[in-house]
Amino acid sequence: MIILLMAGDFVRDGGGKSNSDFIKNVKEMLGGETITSCYQCGTCASSCPVAKTTERFNPRQLLRIALLGESDEILSGDAIWLCSSCYNCQERCPQKVEIAEVIFALRNMAIRAGKIPQLYIDFANGLMNEGRVVPVSKFVEKKRADYGLPPLKPTGVEQLRKILAATGFDKLISKKG
Amino acid sequence: MEEARIGVFLADSGGQLSKILDFESITEFLRGIPGVTLVQRASEFWRGYGLKTIIEAVKSGKINRVVVAEGIPKIGEIAIAKSINSAGLDLSFVEVLDLKSHCAWPHRDSPREATEKAKAMLLAAIEKVRLSQPIEKAVFPAVKAVLVIGGGVAGMQAAEDLADMGFQVYLIEKEPFLGGLAARAVRFFPTDDCAVCIQSPTSDLKTVTHTSRKCIYRSGISEIPNLQILTNSRIIKLEGEPGNFKVTIEKKPRYVNDRCVACGLCATVCPVEVPDEYNAKLTTRKAIYMNMPLVYPPIYVIDGSACKFHECAKCVEVCPTNAIDLNQKAETIILNVGSIIVATGFKEFDPSVIKEYHYGEYPDVITHLELARMIDSFGPTGGKIIRPSDKKEAKRIVFIQCVGSRDKRWNPYCSGICCMISLKHAALIKEVHPDADITICYIDIRTTGREHEYYYEKAREMGIKFVKGRPTEILHDPATNTLIVDVEDEILKRFLELEADLVVLAAAMVPSDGSEELAKILGIELDKDGFFKEYNSKLRPTETKIRGILICGGATFPKDVPTASLHAHSAAIKAAKFLNEGKIVKDLKVAYVNEEYCGDCECCPVTCPYGAISLVPSGNGHFVARVSPLKCEGCGICVGTCPVGAIELNHLTSKQISAQIKALLSVNETPKPKVLAIYCSECGGTALDSAGMTMSYPANVRALKVPCTGVIRAQHILEAFKAGAQGVMIVGCKPEGCHYEAGSQMAKKKVELTKALLAAYGIEPDRLEMFNLIYIEGDKFAEAARMMSERIEKLGPLVIA
Repeated sequence: MIILLMAGDFVRDGGGKSNSDFIKNVKEMLGGETITSCYQCGTCASSCPVAKTTERFNPRQLLRIALLGESDEILSGDAIWLCSSCYNCQERCPQKVEIAEVIFALRNMAIRAGKIPQLYIDFANGLMNEGRVVPVSKFVEKKRADYGLPPLKPTGVEQLRKILAATGFDKLISKKG
Repeated sequence: MEEARIGVFLADSGGQLSKILDFESITEFLRGIPGVTLVQRASEFWRGYGLKTIIEAVKSGKINRVVVAEGIPKIGEIAIAKSINSAGLDLSFVEVLDLKSHCAWPHRDSPREATEKAKAMLLAAIEKVRLSQPIEKAVFPAVKAVLVIGGGVAGMQAAEDLADMGFQVYLIEKEPFLGGLAARAVRFFPTDDCAVCIQSPTSDLKTVTHTSRKCIYRSGISEIPNLQILTNSRIIKLEGEPGNFKVTIEKKPRYVNDRCVACGLCATVCPVEVPDEYNAKLTTRKAIYMNMPLVYPPIYVIDGSACKFHECAKCVEVCPTNAIDLNQKAETIILNVGSIIVATGFKEFDPSVIKEYHYGEYPDVITHLELARMIDSFGPTGGKIIRPSDKKEAKRIVFIQCVGSRDKRWNPYCSGICCMISLKHAALIKEVHPDADITICYIDIRTTGREHEYYYEKAREMGIKFVKGRPTEILHDPATNTLIVDVEDEILKRFLELEADLVVLAAAMVPSDGSEELAKILGIELDKDGFFKEYNSKLRPTETKIRGILICGGATFPKDVPTASLHAHSAAIKAAKFLNEGKIVKDLKVAYVNEEYCGDCECCPVTCPYGAISLVPSGNGHFVARVSPLKCEGCGICVGTCPVGAIELNHLTSKQISAQIKALLSVNETPKPKVLAIYCSECGGTALDSAGMTMSYPANVRALKVPCTGVIRAQHILEAFKAGAQGVMIVGCKPEGCHYEAGSQMAKKKVELTKALLAAYGIEPDRLEMFNLIYIEGDKFAEAARMMSERIEKLGPLVIA
């Protein structure tokens, strides 16, 4: 996994990696429309609770790299998955860039490109197989029994699976980037 | 009217045109047209021998209509019109056309077709002048008096300029004292000297000299005999027409008359204390007060919303000159002026709406205007920079730029002067307190004026720190009474928590209060940000769409003092130019209403861009449209709008348009289908001119000139098809650059509607198209002309069911 966003790390190599259609594609995504309004004032970065705890995520730099058309870095990197969707940045952005929505759009683009972090694949499989994002563990079952609680009812997973198949969700998450 | 005797004059441009056009055939054609009594050829007709020939023919009475085909059409038209007019022939009886760039040159590859087109163009011009009506010259009286609204830097300078030139000037200010926003700002960049300094007349009060630069209170501006200053006043009504406005002014009571000697005894006994808004509420003042020790007028004023009047009246008792009159009432003053200058300035944005900066909640978060009052030695702190919360000296100061400007939530534009204000204030503080710790948080530092970048350099030299990053929030630590500014240093990619005693917000500059109301009273427009909008931002930066109403200074956009001065002087010149003659002379090329047909539908008053049409009672409970000849610009947008054809242009009647359409399409020996291009005489026309100078396009494209494409009605387009056109092109200005504001957009809509109409008649809508072009797009006109010719050839012959 690439560690993005540190000073000096980011060197444009002129090797044609930068994709001039990338921003056009982002703007066509639901939620991605406002990205080009960004003028790099940094209000989002100083608003961001995640950026203050890890150098792996900074919304201002994420948008900057996206605006330069570095689609591989954005879609294959882990930064887009680190946003906690607290919306602080979006509320304070003076250019009305819908930053959290832009990040959702980028995540959707990554998923369509088959670049899905394992954690999300696990979530999706849990949903399709058991009807739950987080599977019910043996530990939880035992604890419930200890407390005298009834076992959890099975979910209607068959119907759910049909719905997800109808939307193409199953194919989407089995896509490999 | 006298029968038309038409003289046609063909310029050959030094023999160049006859190489392409068959002048013999053209002459023969012209001689066969009834009413053409004279056909002459020369190299040129717009000057020298050629022009003399025309003048002599007119003077001899041989001809009473003139058609000139000239190679330098626009200059030629002006020169010929001027001479012919002085020879006694009405302007409307002259038609100048361009056989060079509109015919011979672009069609040099097809001389036979070009000759046919030249005949058609000449015939159209002849048919037009044959039907021309004389155009009256009207003289409207103009009052040599000007009202200037706003007693700030711009208003005072414009007023002084005009008074200096001999006009009667009224300067009104809504506040009780002159000076405006600048006077509160204390010091100006780029000179760092006082804000209350204005140009002022010398002792004879007649002229401004090189040394005429004085403080407002010493300037003697009030002593200029033909300049009357009305403070505490605002405009409430406007009537009349440009050159002759009747303005109603409301003058609020001051409760102190001019016997006041400004001794200040009244203020010492006044028991009422209120926050002093002049000093940004950092201190208090009495209900009877003066802004500063030295102001104009040097007369105290009573704040009517705070005074207890007769319940108290202590001031009345102590006043040694008996100057206080608690019974004073508001006065209504009516002024008759020829021109009005709006110089109402701008104001500072209230940043309390930006919750994360806690302005209004944390006392130590202030704006630049408040800081300016602290820097002023007359100000509330006597020139000391303090923390308002505990009055202790502020050592650590953080400035935040772009607060409420460049911010789509509030004001999307850059206020333009705030970077310089921050640099100026930071340096002023640092000069007095070298140990002050000053940081400026910025998005971009914009120092674009002359010498402005030196301020930036000086600030860095002085040790002022710059952080690139817009803070997300200002926090307050109650334990230490310290503010904490949370910002990302984008260059270091590091998060900073800047500790500060004082945070200064560079708040946006926004339109003055009451701008909207004033715009409504005057009938002028505001831009999308709420500032007064100029008629043309490129070339007419002080004019509005109403002649004689001018705008200048910060009322149009935030400005520094040098720019506001420049703007004010420019507005003064425009007002002077407008009124200088004491009369407004105008060729009445205007619209007129056939009241019999007018259906009282209210369309034309709405579409007229100049507010020249109003509905007046017609006596039977109905209304009819009436055109103000002074306001009418003669574009014809009303003609294009009127659903019943009740409005006509006197300089281009429907009959003249129809006759020209028929003429242009009548002459043709070639089998190629004809296209009629109807073009406006502004940008659209220039595109034709420039296409003709260097490019070529098919000669089957015939062109009809109208003042503005807004004049075009569906009927004209249908007539063209009926008369033999297989395609119609409309060539106008860019919609946003239309010389008559709305005409091009109107035409576009009209074209869309007419396309639908054509479809209903079974005519392919593709036969009609609109093009919006400018001078540098001659290539696009040539391309469009080719494209339309090809398109109609593909469509095949037009069949009208």
